[in-house]
Amino acid sequence: MEIEITVNGRKRRFDVEPNKLLLNLVRDELYLTGTKYGCGIGECGACTVLLDGEAVLSCMVLAVDADGKCVETIEGVADGDKLDPIQEAYIEEGAIQCGFCTPGFIMTTKALLKENPDPSEAEIREYLKGNYCRCTGYVNIIKAVQSAAKKLRS
Amino acid sequence: MSSKPAFKVLGKDTPRQDGVAKVTGREIFASDMAFPNMLYGRILKSPYAHAKVKSMDVSKAEAMGAVTLTPGEIPDIKYCPRLVSVPSSTYKDWKVLAEKGHYVGEPIGAVAAESEEEAQRALESIEVDYEVLGASFDAFDSMKLGADLIHEQIYLEDDLIDVKNNIGCQLEITEGDPASLEAADYVIERTYRTNRRYHNQLETKSVLVRPEPDGGVSIWSTTQTIHNTRLLIHDIYGIPMGKIRVYKVALGGSFGSSIHVNPPVTVAVGLALKSRRPVKLCYTREEDIRDHCAYQIIFKLKLGAFKDGTLAGGQMEAYLDIGAHQIQAYPLLGCVVGWWVSLYRLPYKEYVGKAVYTNKVPCCAFRGYGNPQTTWVVETMMDELAGMIGVDPLDFRLKNFIGEGELFWGQGPTVKSIIRSCGVEEILTKGAEMVDWYNRLKPEEQTGRYRKGWGVGRGFHTSSAGAPVPSSIIDFGGAMLKMNEDGTFDYVSALMDHGCGTQDAHAKIIAEELCVPVDKVNIIRADTGTTVYDVCTHASRGVYSGGGAALKVAGKVKEQIREFAGRILDAYPHAVRIRYDEARGQAVVYAEGIEGREVTYRDVAETARQKNWGTAASVESYRQPSCPPHFTGYFVDVEVDTWTGKVKLLRVVAGADIGTVINPKLAAGQVHGGFAQGWGMTVLEDTPYDPESGDLMNGGSVANYKVPTTCDLLDLEDLTVFFADTYEPTGPFGAKGLGEGALNPVAGAIANAIQSALGVRFFQLPITPIRILEALKEKEG
Amino acid sequence: MYVNKVNTHILPIEFEYHAPKSLDETVELLEKYGEDAHVLAGGTDLLPHMKQRRVEPKHIVNIKGIPELACIKEIPEGIHIGALAKLRAIELSPLINEKLPLLSEAARSVGSIQIRNLGTIGGNICNASPSADMATPLMAVDAKVHVYSKSGEKNYPIVEFFHGRGEVRLEQGELVTGFTVPHLPEGAGSAFEKIGWTTLDIATVNVAAVVSLKDGKIDHCSIALGACSPAPIRGVLAEEILRGREPSAEAMDEAVELIATCVEPRERWRRAPPEYRQRTSKALARDAVTRAVEAARR
Repeated sequence: MEIEITVNGRKRRFDVEPNKLLLNLVRDELYLTGTKYGCGIGECGACTVLLDGEAVLSCMVLAVDADGKCVETIEGVADGDKLDPIQEAYIEEGAIQCGFCTPGFIMTTKALLKENPDPSEAEIREYLKGNYCRCTGYVNIIKAVQSAAKKLRS
Repeated sequence: MSSKPAFKVLGKDTPRQDGVAKVTGREIFASDMAFPNMLYGRILKSPYAHAKVKSMDVSKAEAMGAVTLTPGEIPDIKYCPRLVSVPSSTYKDWKVLAEKGHYVGEPIGAVAAESEEEAQRALESIEVDYEVLGASFDAFDSMKLGADLIHEQIYLEDDLIDVKNNIGCQLEITEGDPASLEAADYVIERTYRTNRRYHNQLETKSVLVRPEPDGGVSIWSTTQTIHNTRLLIHDIYGIPMGKIRVYKVALGGSFGSSIHVNPPVTVAVGLALKSRRPVKLCYTREEDIRDHCAYQIIFKLKLGAFKDGTLAGGQMEAYLDIGAHQIQAYPLLGCVVGWWVSLYRLPYKEYVGKAVYTNKVPCCAFRGYGNPQTTWVVETMMDELAGMIGVDPLDFRLKNFIGEGELFWGQGPTVKSIIRSCGVEEILTKGAEMVDWYNRLKPEEQTGRYRKGWGVGRGFHTSSAGAPVPSSIIDFGGAMLKMNEDGTFDYVSALMDHGCGTQDAHAKIIAEELCVPVDKVNIIRADTGTTVYDVCTHASRGVYSGGGAALKVAGKVKEQIREFAGRILDAYPHAVRIRYDEARGQAVVYAEGIEGREVTYRDVAETARQKNWGTAASVESYRQPSCPPHFTGYFVDVEVDTWTGKVKLLRVVAGADIGTVINPKLAAGQVHGGFAQGWGMTVLEDTPYDPESGDLMNGGSVANYKVPTTCDLLDLEDLTVFFADTYEPTGPFGAKGLGEGALNPVAGAIANAIQSALGVRFFQLPITPIRILEALKEKEG
Repeated sequence: MYVNKVNTHILPIEFEYHAPKSLDETVELLEKYGEDAHVLAGGTDLLPHMKQRRVEPKHIVNIKGIPELACIKEIPEGIHIGALAKLRAIELSPLINEKLPLLSEAARSVGSIQIRNLGTIGGNICNASPSADMATPLMAVDAKVHVYSKSGEKNYPIVEFFHGRGEVRLEQGELVTGFTVPHLPEGAGSAFEKIGWTTLDIATVNVAAVVSLKDGKIDHCSIALGACSPAPIRGVLAEEILRGREPSAEAMDEAVELIATCVEPRERWRRAPPEYRQRTSKALARDAVTRAVEAARR
């Protein structure tokens, strides 16, 4: 099936089978491998992308269902070499360990801070609940989100 | 208090070098690797817990165009996928593809095809005829007379040995005077059972193998050791080692699950050699959860104490339910006794450890390598014993802990050294003050639905398996460092970074030694062809051992810089000094007090180039002389809902003695992560089996294997982490490890807090809401 | 065997894909392909089930192209929620938050933000899981289910929709198009309670309660429970015993004892033994009614 998706601001056309997952389209066809497979069943959030601005799991979206929509992946977050304040905050706060969950966390954080520029700790925790991290115990991640929110507000 | 030197680089927060790659999605993990013309591999797994493969028909898969791999096509070699111990301590019962499935999920065949979809279809077309055998899902059932043998014969080094009663290996150790225990005023004897936790590392085990024109292979895989990966592939496939290149790629979590060489690697090499095409093989999550788990141990522990609050001795039996294969069961038998006897002074200790086969997923190291399990048992019993004697559990610990100047079994009976730095007292007394320990409520003072509890747990872990004499465990690494012509440095090492920032710690150690900011030291991602051997990133040895190697090469390079600078400055190399000049952005070598006699690193390197003196560089192997323990302690407050059995964390204070702290935020991150894993271990995680299907009760789905989320832990203000002020004299700039010690005492501390809330003690992990309600019903009706 | 069939990397089955643009076109496809067809709404249940080979549909009918099914609106009879309304939309809808906070509270308890941005209320209900978090609140508010087929629209109370044992009352060629919730009694308060192993989990037990008070006594009372019987149920006996009484501790004690008698957890459910579900259903029912009373008092 022929579809057209705007990926990180650029229109892309694909011919896909209907059983193609958006996750695999992004990873295998576009080599945008920042979006990760973690579980395939919606438990881990490693495959989070923004679909028309909303955080969704790309392992649960058919590529054909993204037809005509905008997909933003982790590779589209920085402006060239200039990191987004969220990305800076994750580095500064030591919120990264193995880094496999990091892209998903950053995408969810981006959706959160767009919706709610000054979230409480409880709101941050609730919003990031679907992103699983086995390394950090989330402490430095929460701090990074708080710090990013502050940066973005100023 | 220690007298630490003043550091310029260490102890300050610095951004990790892989940070930008990781936040932009540009970091490449094994599962991200791709080559043109590559095939996708899939593994055929045993659907039975115990079944012989009588025949396998792959003709349909071949007809579809897939490349197939069956057991007969692989060299008939039994091996152990973990190569950290010496051969005389290594039991071998693995094959790349098994002719008999010993657990549901064991690889018995494989396919590779043009896409994952095609590979999947080819996989499903394979027809297998099985002879189903009797299976055991419990260590004690396995040991029963007449139980089907899971392995009849295995190798120890090169000797074929018969397996009896499904016991894979055993170890017995007795030390001290038994009369001491016999004379004890108080004795407790209990049986404890730990859970079978799944690592749930975020990246499933993955590999890409490219066959090379010279008959060799290049490998990018999830691993904690590139050199042992190369060794094993050499052992199995007979490829000369120089033709096997194993490349470092970022590792999406491991926690001990990739100390051994993962099955996808050995299988994918076979597929790549046969197909002459690059083969990518990534486990799905449901395959990964049927690949590895933590060692489940059933302990029988007896401890005795005297009225004065000192310990009299103890006896421990440890039954390791290791699952279907040995990965590092024998060394673990030694470690379990080591973890036990290194916690508290025991005038007499008697230990029997047995590793028992069951038809379950093979167990492997999981952060702490039996230490979280052992420490949970000991810390639970220490609390119980303190209650019996009538002393405060904290005072009881302070009286009996093993500390400075005493003998420490770093990795079991063959790895011992003397403790030179110890922050136990500081951790326990400072922590107690922070939580107002001695004024806590007593459990009997509480009734009603919600009950609060307070618990303490302490522990340690070794930092490496170094020691003054060789042991059954190999522990050395190596590093290369060279000065570039712009005055920066390239650091090359085989040591893997799991994400803990280990390589960044090395870079900081080098920067400290060479008087430059850390951004002047580049971490180069290398491979087996460009690095000297490093055993593995495990045993919390990354900073201590790997950092030791980094410091050694930094020292050598510094000597050469002095030598070159001495020539340039017409000064004595041993007399010149080095400082960092912010304005010039260069380190400067100078002759103190003599005006104009100074030269920057850049000019040293450039002059050495132009005058053909060579590169200031060093490559060295290094073995640490000790295995110093890093110590940790946790104070945990909980609240238990007696209507639902749910346990809520109220406050946690964690103290850690890791010697010199190299990167404070990342070090704290180890404690945060260790606590979160310990929380899951204590109240949540397990992988029980369904004896009917022989498969995991969770059906391979992580929807049924829950781990703590952002909302299942503590608020920021309720978690405090502090570091003891210590300096390890044998460590690089005084540093020790941390990763595993951060987890080890957590279960004990939480379990003690739950006991204090309910007045009920639990002897089985996890302490789930179900078990809590059952226990309360028994107690209160 | 299933260990070799499951593959969560991909959708390991092939199917014919249909994206109808109208209700009539949809039900025509559903009628034509019958059991071979599965409706795709949010996909958060269907796609994992396909990866796990729990279902292997030959036809996928994607109904996202019918935007009118996603509406949330006030109608004379109450509030209408289209089957395609996303859980996130229900969670955030000012109308729902004002008039039916029970539903927004329940929606918030489902999965993660990412799941709720995809998952729909219709999918949550039609998946027929005994633990569906939207089923209990819809039962507690006496919602009606709207079903469309070639023979037109019909509706019936949601209690009649659940057949038990993972089945719902849907015939070949029928599509759930939405739910109508009648106006709640004046001043009613509500609460939703749920327990799972973690905060990101399906319910081990969930309870929804709606209470209104008259002169300090319980007037309207509805309690629905999920995950503790083969299908979501109403705690009818408990409701009856509470009506007309002050919400005292004694009344609550009696009510939750009746709750324990009406739930029928299955022995073979692996996540928790029946006794645990029984005991926690009592605890959660008590919590839910208590909170609903507090809300009604405000």
